[in-house]
Amino acid sequence: MGKVMLEVKELTTKYVTRFNEDVYAVDHVSLKIEEGKSLGIAGESGCGKSTLALSLMGYYFSPLHYTSGDIIIDGVNISGMKPDEVRKSILGNEIAYIPQAAMNALNPTQKIIRFVEDVIHAHDPKKSKKEIYDMAVERFKVLGLPPEVLQRHAVELSGGMKQRTVIAISTILSPKVLIADEPSSALDVTSQKMVIKMMRELMEKGFIKSMIFITHELPLLYNVTDDIMVMYAGQIVEKGSAKEMVFDPVHPYSKGLMGSIIVPEAGTREVKLEAIPGTPPNLKNPPDGCRFAARCKYAKLECRTYDVPEKEFRDGRMYRCIHDVEYLKEVYGRDE
Amino acid sequence: MKGYVKYYGQKVAWYVLTLIIAVALNFFLPRMMPGDPVRAIVNEATTGMTNASAIQQIEQQYYERFGLDKSLPEQFLTYVGNLFKGDLGTSFTQYPRPVTDVIGESVIWTLALQIPAILVGWFIGNILGAVAAYLRKGFDKAVMPLFMFLSNMPAFGMAIIMVWVFAVTLKIAPLSGGYGYDLLPSFTPEFIVSLISHYALPFFSIILITIGGQAIGMRSMSIYELNADYVKYSRFLGIKDRKIIGYVFRNAMLPQVTGLALSLGTMIGGNIVAETIFSYPGIGTTLLAGITGGDYPLISGSTLIITLMVLVANLVIEILYGVIDPRVKAAQQDS
Repeated sequence: MGKVMLEVKELTTKYVTRFNEDVYAVDHVSLKIEEGKSLGIAGESGCGKSTLALSLMGYYFSPLHYTSGDIIIDGVNISGMKPDEVRKSILGNEIAYIPQAAMNALNPTQKIIRFVEDVIHAHDPKKSKKEIYDMAVERFKVLGLPPEVLQRHAVELSGGMKQRTVIAISTILSPKVLIADEPSSALDVTSQKMVIKMMRELMEKGFIKSMIFITHELPLLYNVTDDIMVMYAGQIVEKGSAKEMVFDPVHPYSKGLMGSIIVPEAGTREVKLEAIPGTPPNLKNPPDGCRFAARCKYAKLECRTYDVPEKEFRDGRMYRCIHDVEYLKEVYGRDE
Repeated sequence: MKGYVKYYGQKVAWYVLTLIIAVALNFFLPRMMPGDPVRAIVNEATTGMTNASAIQQIEQQYYERFGLDKSLPEQFLTYVGNLFKGDLGTSFTQYPRPVTDVIGESVIWTLALQIPAILVGWFIGNILGAVAAYLRKGFDKAVMPLFMFLSNMPAFGMAIIMVWVFAVTLKIAPLSGGYGYDLLPSFTPEFIVSLISHYALPFFSIILITIGGQAIGMRSMSIYELNADYVKYSRFLGIKDRKIIGYVFRNAMLPQVTGLALSLGTMIGGNIVAETIFSYPGIGTTLLAGITGGDYPLISGSTLIITLMVLVANLVIEILYGVIDPRVKAAQQDS
């Protein structure tokens, strides 16, 4: 077992609306990533995956607020740290972020190199411009970006170049954890593949030590990450290795997610696509019991009354459903 | 570089075309006004004279002197020809002073009043708007309605209120004029004090209105920029708020620069009424005098100066914009 880079215990964060209502978008989420590993988080729009990405960084902007739980990066618990301290020593340095809208992530009126200088100076004010330039040239080269890019403004770069520039800037300080929030969802399939390949490369070269990849496309994760977590209505509903999650999902929601997309693997070609009926619950008033019950084919009366705990049924394999694994396997077999 | 030349070449061509049309309109429109300026001047000059043929002769002389005996197209050609020599003709009402003289004297008053007032108002307005956007809450709620009120106040309305409060009721400022009517322009302390006290009211009335408009624009631009993706991204890379605010305000300023250009360009025309209320000896007052007296060359000259200022201000801002905004620069190079 490798060194644990990021461990999150029972993290809960909430949005406070302007009418002072609490919306728990991340509800008691626990996860663990070892050095050199990557974790994928999948789920529908609005399930809380992007909020989880923001929450994991340990620095909160209104309307997002921290409620409880621990975030431990390489043995250091950052949940108790002062926000300014987190910003100065953790953000960008230990834990880095690639935003959903990488296209607009760069200040339109600033040269790329000036921004790189600002990022590095935020953590190491003494570094000279020359050192920073050399560092940037080297890292940009790894991502296939020529040094000229540094002298350009964001508007002068193509979409793919902007994307790579953002990845290069995010990882320039070699963070221990990289959180990529749908970095490829705005790109076409070829560019998506390239982004993923580059992120893998960064990890192999040791520029990043671990990675969290957030997406709504489960099969994309299969090619990218070691483990996959499926999120529904702010909670983790199933966790496992990428292969198991794609080919042997246990939770009815993960099963539904896999059934609603085409996996370009042998044996899955003949499968008929099926949509999951209904919409996710409003997190302002989450339903009692299992949050997926209203959309679940296999829901019983108890599902709607009792809270369902996370159940571990094999090493590293977890799901959140009142049914046994055997029962679920049986009904899935019957349905097919 | 080639793109630039082409871009500005096209721009300048458009500006020249605009100027040509403006010159024509400036010439013909005043001359379509009802009334005969010469008749009024002659009436005044010949008060007490009874000899009808002599009056007729004087009238004829004036027509010839002003060139009004020729046809309009002929007059226009002479006018354009003189323009190239920098000659705007002779004023009817202040005969025999050349129009360039009359305008040159009044334009200085206008520029000296408006440029400082607009610049100061623009700076204060932008700072207040940015602070309101950043602080929100109490400060924002307190000053925003005030800005709204100020920005929607027409210049003459503000001028009337200022005159009423400070000159009529409180009697701490003079009622009108550019300096005391009993003084002659000179470098004496007495004259300078009088100059400043006459300057205050129109100056502050312009500043207040400018502050209101600029603050509202800056506030909404800043709020928009504060929520931009690059702000979020910069924060999550650990960059300090102070630095990020630097990015935000630089970007929020860009449209404000256009606002500055527009107010500088239109300052003369836009404040004719305010100048009239304060009887400030600027170009607005001169233009008004020209219109009431049917002084065609003076009207054409004044409006030509206003047109030129608007065009020059726009062109300068266009060039400046390319320097400060790389997006505009890229667009200019591409054309």
